[in-house]
Amino acid sequence: MKLYFTLVGASIRARMQYKFNFLFSTFSYGLIMVTDFLMLAAILLRFDDIRGWSIYEVGVLYGISSASMSLYRVVAAEIHDFERYMVEGEFDSLLIRPVSPLTLLLSRNLDLNRIGGVVQGLSILGISLSHLTALPTFFWLLWYLPVALGTGLIISVSLGLMTATLAFWTHRIREFQVFTLYAPTNAANYPVSIYPGWLKWIFFTVLPVAFMNYLPATFLLQKGGEWYLLVVSPMAALLFAGVAFSFWRFGIRHYHSTGS
Amino acid sequence: MVCLELFKKSFSRHLQYRAAHLINNIGSLVFGFMYIAIWQGVLEGKEHSSPYSVTEMTHYMAATQSLLMLSVFLTVGLDIPPAVRNGSISLQMARPVHYFLYVTSQEAGRLFYNLFFRSLPIALVFAVTVGYPLPDDPSTWLWGAVSVTLGVLIGLNLFYLIGISSCWTLEISGAHFINMTLMFALGGQMVPLDLLPSPLAGIALHFPFSGLIYYPVMVWLEKLPVVEALIVPLFWGVLLTLFNLWLTGWARRKLEVQGG
Repeated sequence: MKLYFTLVGASIRARMQYKFNFLFSTFSYGLIMVTDFLMLAAILLRFDDIRGWSIYEVGVLYGISSASMSLYRVVAAEIHDFERYMVEGEFDSLLIRPVSPLTLLLSRNLDLNRIGGVVQGLSILGISLSHLTALPTFFWLLWYLPVALGTGLIISVSLGLMTATLAFWTHRIREFQVFTLYAPTNAANYPVSIYPGWLKWIFFTVLPVAFMNYLPATFLLQKGGEWYLLVVSPMAALLFAGVAFSFWRFGIRHYHSTGS
Repeated sequence: MVCLELFKKSFSRHLQYRAAHLINNIGSLVFGFMYIAIWQGVLEGKEHSSPYSVTEMTHYMAATQSLLMLSVFLTVGLDIPPAVRNGSISLQMARPVHYFLYVTSQEAGRLFYNLFFRSLPIALVFAVTVGYPLPDDPSTWLWGAVSVTLGVLIGLNLFYLIGISSCWTLEISGAHFINMTLMFALGGQMVPLDLLPSPLAGIALHFPFSGLIYYPVMVWLEKLPVVEALIVPLFWGVLLTLFNLWLTGWARRKLEVQGG
């Protein structure tokens, strides 16, 4: 852990050498996300709600999923860009070190540009919460947020890791990421209940983004959910992380180097 | 016809990645179904207060996913920034073919490929699942093709503008993200522009971004008179092309070739 923070500290100092560029790109990375939310706000200004969910209620979902997805992009930048290790054959150099490849990948590089996404996700969350204080479950909601963000991060990292593992066979993963990462995390910005049955099924099983915000929110925002969903959701995330990790180990065992 | 040759070469180069792109198409389809579900959720029971019925909105969102592949998802900076960084731009500019045509005809070849392997397969799946709109009036086919071509022209020019700006700035990622944000929001990808709140709608309908998605879809769905839907994209297509030609001349004078 000490090693991790030393490496992270070095990465932050390196970025701060170019302060203006850092601030500008941090700002612009988060912009797509916020604009997307403003578009939704514009729709709901005119049409009030999506199947009974107000803009602030959707904002809670939106804030949680987009902040945890951005957090994943910050901490797991190398897992997200894992295909580089396959295409350029750098993975061998990770295997010969005394630390596990996953630890090395996680500590190698923090993509600090993406912090803008985290900040803007949390802002959407904050603004939405300030309009929901009348909820009887408001304090539950407040206390649960760290758990929800943690759950969201675990699910995002697991999705990222599973996609990265595909690279052991396919080498390229960028085309998969649209389906396995971008589409589900974007879908989780809205209540999963609005989707057709087959999509709902996918978001509860293969790409389980429903657990990061929607399921606990059915209780916290009083949409007919029960209290125990607050416990079930993080458990499901941990279970999924276990599956993702086993898949990764399975992938490494099947890895063949390109070397001569 | 050097340009035609570049166009064909670029087309066949991308032909090698067919399988990967077909996987990526699944991602686009999920996004499409997601937006369709969001709008169904929003418009349910409120169709009387909306200029679009649920069916029309479904067709709008389906058409959007096909069009994105032609006018919005272009190569970052049209690959100009790497050429600026490694200096190969000086050789490319010295060639007898105009640099603007050299870059855009290669990208146009890729977009022509996208038409057959991205847009049409996506359209085909939507046709089977949600019913794709086929125009009643035969002239709509012609005007639809014209408006899509204008959309492609505007898209090429906006990406070229960002790309060629790297002659001065070197780093374009911030500008690229801002451009993408504007393309999504003011292009009409998620919200038909006339549904935006009033001052914003007026601005958005006259900006170049409206020609990328909103106006072409309006022509295909026969929701707007042809002249009204073509005038703004035509204006911007011509203006941006002239501006970029002028800018290219300026960039050429700025180039310095080092070495001996």
